[in-house]
Amino acid sequence: MRLVELGLKESVDLVQKGQLKAEEMVEAHIKHIEDVDSEIKAFLTFCFEQAREKARQLDRKKEKGRLSGAVIAVKDNIVTRGIRTTCGSRILENFIPPYSATVVERLEAEDAIIIGKTNLDEFAMGSSTENSAFFPTRNPWDLERVPGGSSGGSAAAVAAFEAMAALGSDTGGSVRQPAAFCGVVGLKPTYGRVSRYGLVAFASSLDQVGTFARTVKDCALVTSVIAGFDPRDSTSAQVPVPDYAAGLGKSYTRIKVGVLSESSLKGIKPEVAENYHQVISAIRELGLEIEAVTFPSWEVALPCYYIIAPSEASSNLARYDGVRYGFRARAKDLSEMYLKTRTQGFGSEVKRRILLGTFALSSGYYDAYYAKAARARQAITAELMQAFSCVDFIITPTTPEAAFKLGEKQDPISMYLQDYFTVAASLAGFPGLSLPCGLTRSGLPLGLQILARPFFEQDLFDFAFLLEKKLDFKNNRSVLLTRGRRKNEN
Amino acid sequence: MKIDLEHICRLAHLELSEEEKGYLSVQMDKILDWVGELARLETTEEGKFSPVDFCLRLEADCIEPSLPLEEVLRMAPEKEGDFIKVPKVLVGK
Repeated sequence: MRLVELGLKESVDLVQKGQLKAEEMVEAHIKHIEDVDSEIKAFLTFCFEQAREKARQLDRKKEKGRLSGAVIAVKDNIVTRGIRTTCGSRILENFIPPYSATVVERLEAEDAIIIGKTNLDEFAMGSSTENSAFFPTRNPWDLERVPGGSSGGSAAAVAAFEAMAALGSDTGGSVRQPAAFCGVVGLKPTYGRVSRYGLVAFASSLDQVGTFARTVKDCALVTSVIAGFDPRDSTSAQVPVPDYAAGLGKSYTRIKVGVLSESSLKGIKPEVAENYHQVISAIRELGLEIEAVTFPSWEVALPCYYIIAPSEASSNLARYDGVRYGFRARAKDLSEMYLKTRTQGFGSEVKRRILLGTFALSSGYYDAYYAKAARARQAITAELMQAFSCVDFIITPTTPEAAFKLGEKQDPISMYLQDYFTVAASLAGFPGLSLPCGLTRSGLPLGLQILARPFFEQDLFDFAFLLEKKLDFKNNRSVLLTRGRRKNEN
Repeated sequence: MKIDLEHICRLAHLELSEEEKGYLSVQMDKILDWVGELARLETTEEGKFSPVDFCLRLEADCIEPSLPLEEVLRMAPEKEGDFIKVPKVLVGK
């Protein structure tokens, strides 16, 4: 086994005991990234020199942190002091933040090593990473296919062993959907669980920083480090954070799992439905109880999301005016500067969403669109709350289909339908985790979404850990390791 | 639903090329018809604008260190001394 195949937890344990040098681990990852990233294109910016320096310092330290030598990739909409942060947009192409996000500070305080900034759909708007202003990322399971989005670079980097774990952001499914497409674990925590300070805002009432890893335990370990109250985020909750990874492995007998009725599965690919039913059978074999749940308003969650998220985006993205930072277009006066900067700086999906949000908030339409969506959001939240009075978890497929081909979805609505299963938890602020749960006949990974009550991340990890063992999904993307090596030899 | 794209662009400080106007007006109309499905849902509830149901805190009114001016200004596209410079605000006819 090569060093990059070592799991995060195992690697951290060895580095802490002094049996493995962080520097060796970092070098192994850099070498591997140089071998494979020209094909996958998960990264927008590499931080190799900073990573080497950090590793050398760590190897000299006596007291080592909880993530010692963990090689982590960070989505490029999370600010990193002194390291370019683009949001996948021309408007921030040369932006070097003067501060780091709380989540980045917390990773570094526990001796994690940031190896690079990962590609995304511009301002996290998209489900394929094709909306990046720079280049699309490719799925490590099939390079003709998308890795999902918007955190596609982070998911692909973890799946292809370019990083042990990664941070992403999830507004309507942007961690869970790419995790499913790339066969890795991805968590969107409860709204308020993880600080948003330093996460570039898309839709502030929905955005959460989430974690990708190859195992539930690694995902739990990283989440324990980044979660918790932050006075710099007014929506951050003062709820204690347990050591999620340490608590794993409890035995369960009395769990009730909510499953979707057939009517909620209409329109999804038959292979996804088939896999979902296999997972339900596996849960039954574990001796756990299954109960069907119905959500009459689930059908409107997607339209509701596609009013609220663009509305908030149109307001948040008003800050990109060319005045204080980022791209500025040449103009003869201030209003022309605003107009040209935004017109030249934003890509087409971002423009589409700004226009949609501006419309939904505009005079004469606010009540029919934004206010109506806010009421629907309340109804969706109430339904989810009600469902959780009868069950401990709700499981759904993460996505209606497996990874699709680059360029396959030209119509915006067909892309928006990717979020069918994920937006309800976002609107309600509930936590959701995508667990790899099988392969299609053509060998593409599928994800199972597990939802839990707000701030019940420990239970979510416990249940996912149990299922992970039962389903025994194998990430065989280490084939890329040998491919990279062969290419270099030729 | 037909959207007045020019009006919305003015509000959003965006300018569209003729080509963009062509496809965006078709797409936006389709998207608005699709999100318009929401009207079918009977809602009597108060609107929910954030998942946060705990009380938002007030910050203590005390001075804390801020970022050095020099660092903040480093990313400004144009500056003069300690100020960010922008083109003329008012332009005579």
